[in-house]
Order: sequence, then structure tokens, then C-alpha cells
Amino acid sequence: MFEKMVKLSRVKSPWVCHFNSGSCNGCDIEIIAALMPRFDAERFGVLLKGSPRHADVLLCTGPVTGQMKERLIKIYEQMPEPKFVVAFGECACTGAVYTGAYNVEGGIDKVIPVNAYVPGCPPKPEAILDGVVKLLTAFKESE
Amino acid sequence: MTPIESLIYMLVFPGFLFLTSYAFFCQYLDRKLYARFQKRVGPPFIQPIADFIKLLAKEDIVPKAADNRMFSAAPIVGLAAVLTAFIFIPVLALHSVIPSFEGDLIVVLYLLTIPTLAIFLAGWTSGNPFGQVGAMRAIVQMISYEIPFFLALLAPALIVGSWSLGRILDYQLGGMWLVIFAPLAVIIAIVTLQGKLERLPFDIPDAETEIVGGPLTEYSGRRLALFRAMLDVEMVVGAALIVTLFFGGYDLIISFSDLPWYLPVLLNAVIFFVKVLFIVGILALIKAVVARYRIDQMVSLSYRWLIPLSVAQIVFIVVLKFGGWLI
Repeated sequence: MFEKMVKLSRVKSPWVCHFNSGSCNGCDIEIIAALMPRFDAERFGVLLKGSPRHADVLLCTGPVTGQMKERLIKIYEQMPEPKFVVAFGECACTGAVYTGAYNVEGGIDKVIPVNAYVPGCPPKPEAILDGVVKLLTAFKESE
Repeated sequence: MTPIESLIYMLVFPGFLFLTSYAFFCQYLDRKLYARFQKRVGPPFIQPIADFIKLLAKEDIVPKAADNRMFSAAPIVGLAAVLTAFIFIPVLALHSVIPSFEGDLIVVLYLLTIPTLAIFLAGWTSGNPFGQVGAMRAIVQMISYEIPFFLALLAPALIVGSWSLGRILDYQLGGMWLVIFAPLAVIIAIVTLQGKLERLPFDIPDAETEIVGGPLTEYSGRRLALFRAMLDVEMVVGAALIVTLFFGGYDLIISFSDLPWYLPVLLNAVIFFVKVLFIVGILALIKAVVARYRIDQMVSLSYRWLIPLSVAQIVFIVVLKFGGWLI
């Protein structure tokens, strides 16, 4: 029962940390749009936190550039367990048009494990909330 | 009171257990009102408890650069100080003489200073540059809001002529609430309480758009949960102090003298906590309508306006008192 309560609390309060690993800023604008009063992410318990130490979900945008690779790993390792990573946007999922560029490693999953992908260029604000909710539902149903 | 009664008073009602759950409710109310002011839906009812349990269950990290003992002690000391402060505030009308001693107002004010120092130490010893900048801002902010806050709460003590919360409350039970004599002091106390709680417009220490998480940047897991609980309880204690000093504590105009003895006690406690909720609502309203000050603006606001105004309030009260217009 105790386990169940902890799990429910985790589902009810995902705090998000936003990380840009070389995105064109299109996805970042959509993330800000998703957190604005019109969509009201706080009704699902989502809060945007500046510090990765406070966060449960790392929202990554953009392909991983050579410069950002080490920093992305560092930020990921600073987050306390249990942690989730959401790759937001086409570039974060696969590397998209930047695949094979001399300074690009590829998608986020080339560097750190990713739990959910939200495709789109950029995805709509609804898509990010949908992605987070799907991630949490999958977590809730898992053992 | 017998030892058992005292233990129940401290640990169950209105102490630890009741106070923390009431503080969570106040956090919910604050966030919900804030959301409604912005035309949002707001968080569900269980949100504060869900946040708390989630943080308790998270991994606990102490950074290598941090001083381990200070890092762990800061949230516990801060939470203990605010929980202790609430014990001195009269809530239950159990006895004909309110249990209180001369100078407990000073004790409560002193205990309410400790959370800020805990936050300062937390930021300073966490070994993070953002934490250290936030800690310095917290201390600069403290020396500017503490003086008007103390001066504002001196006003009721001057009117009654006592440092005891019980006697100040007793004065209001018979006659008028002190807000009538010291309206300016109430406003100053509420504004500076916002600074004490590090909320808008004075959330300079943990300005998340400037310095990540302020003094709490390196905190995670259960220590962060304790810090958040500390801030909630501090909000309740600050609001309860203002209610006791200015709004007549558990007093209501109607008297319940012809009811059995336990009903008036219960009703008085309910009235007290409803009044605290009103103060929390005002704090949420302030948070919703203002933007953040810079640290120099905050210091100049409190030294140019709040301190002179609170001194003017005190002069006004002294004139009233020596003119013989106060009872």
C-alpha cells in the first residue's frame, strides 16, 4: 500500500527541468507555450524547475551537438533517482536533418536513455502534455 | 496543564500533526487562489501531499563540495524552529487566563528569524555558486525587512503595554481589535511577511529566472521536502501571529456563553483558523498582482518607506496613549 502511495504521488507531481542541447529554439517556445495559463500544466502537478536536483523529468530539445554532449550527461547525472527523460521534437528523437553533420552526435538517445519521444517540428503544446501524461501512465501501469 | 495534555498540545493539536496538515492545506489554498487569479484551473487538492511524499521517496544527494553536517542540519533546525514558534500562539480558549508569559512575542519573533538563517546556511554550505548568491541575497533581504516587521508588531505591544501574546489577546477579547488603532502596522506586517516567506514581490533569493533555485539549488529529495514544509508552516505561523496581534485571535463578536464548555473552545479554534485562511488569501493576492523587485529596490523600499511609516505608526500610538484616548 505504501509503495502504491509513493507511485501515485510520483505520477501526480512530475517536476520538469528543461534542457536545450542544440535546438533551433522552436521547440523551446512551444514548451513555454505549454506551461502558460491557457493550457495550465499545474493542474497535472507539472512545475518548471530551474535546478536539475529538483526535477523528475528532463525535457530535452534539439539534436546533441559535440559541445553539449558532456553537459547533457552531467545534467542527467545530477538528477536524483527515479528520473525520466523526454525527447521533445524531431531532432531530439532522431537527429532529423542534422543526422551526419560533423558536429552532431544524433538524437538524445545516443547519449542518455530516453523514456518517451514526442515527435513534431515543433510539436504542439498539447503534444507535450500528452507525452508527459502517457509517460506517467506507462510508469503507473509498470511494476 | 498535565504533562500528557502538554504532549498532546505539542504533537497532535494544534502542534505538529495538525499544524503540518493545516500548512499543506494553506499551500493548496495559496496555489489554487494564485491559479484562479490568473484564470487557470490550478492544482488538485492532494497536490501538496503528493509533492511531499514524492520528494521524501526520491534519491538523497549530498554534493561533494557541501559541508555534510550543516547541509543536513539546516532544514531540520528551520522546521523545528517554526513548529516551536506556533506553540506560543494562543489557539484554544481552554482556560479563563490565557497561558502565556511576559515576552513570548519576542520568542516567537526570534524563532521566526531562524528559518531565514537556515536558508542562508543551506545556500552558503552547499558549495554551489547559485546557492551562495542566493544566500547572500537572503541575508541582505533579511536586514531590510526584519526592522519594519519588528516595528509593526511592536505597535500592538505598545497599545496594550505588554510583551505577552496572552495579554494582547485578552485586551482584544474585551474590547476592540487592534487593527482599528494600527491599520498601517497591519499593512506593513503583511508586506514584510511576504519578504520573510521569500514570495513575490520579494522572492529575490530564489529568483528562478535568475539564479536557478537560489539557496536550495543543490537540495533534493527529503531535505528539499523539509524545506518546503518549513516555508508552509512559516506562512501559517506568520499569518497566525498577525491574526493574534491585530484581528483578535479566536475572538468573534458573538459570545457562546450558554453552550456546553467544549463547543465554544472548538468554535473559537475554527474561527481562528478561518481568520488565518483569510490572511493567506491576502498573501496569495499580493503574490498574483505584483512583479519581482531587484535587491537594491527592495532595500530602498524598506528603508525609505516601510521603516518611516512604521515609526510614524508608533508615534501615532504613543500620542494616543499619552493623550489618554486609549483605555
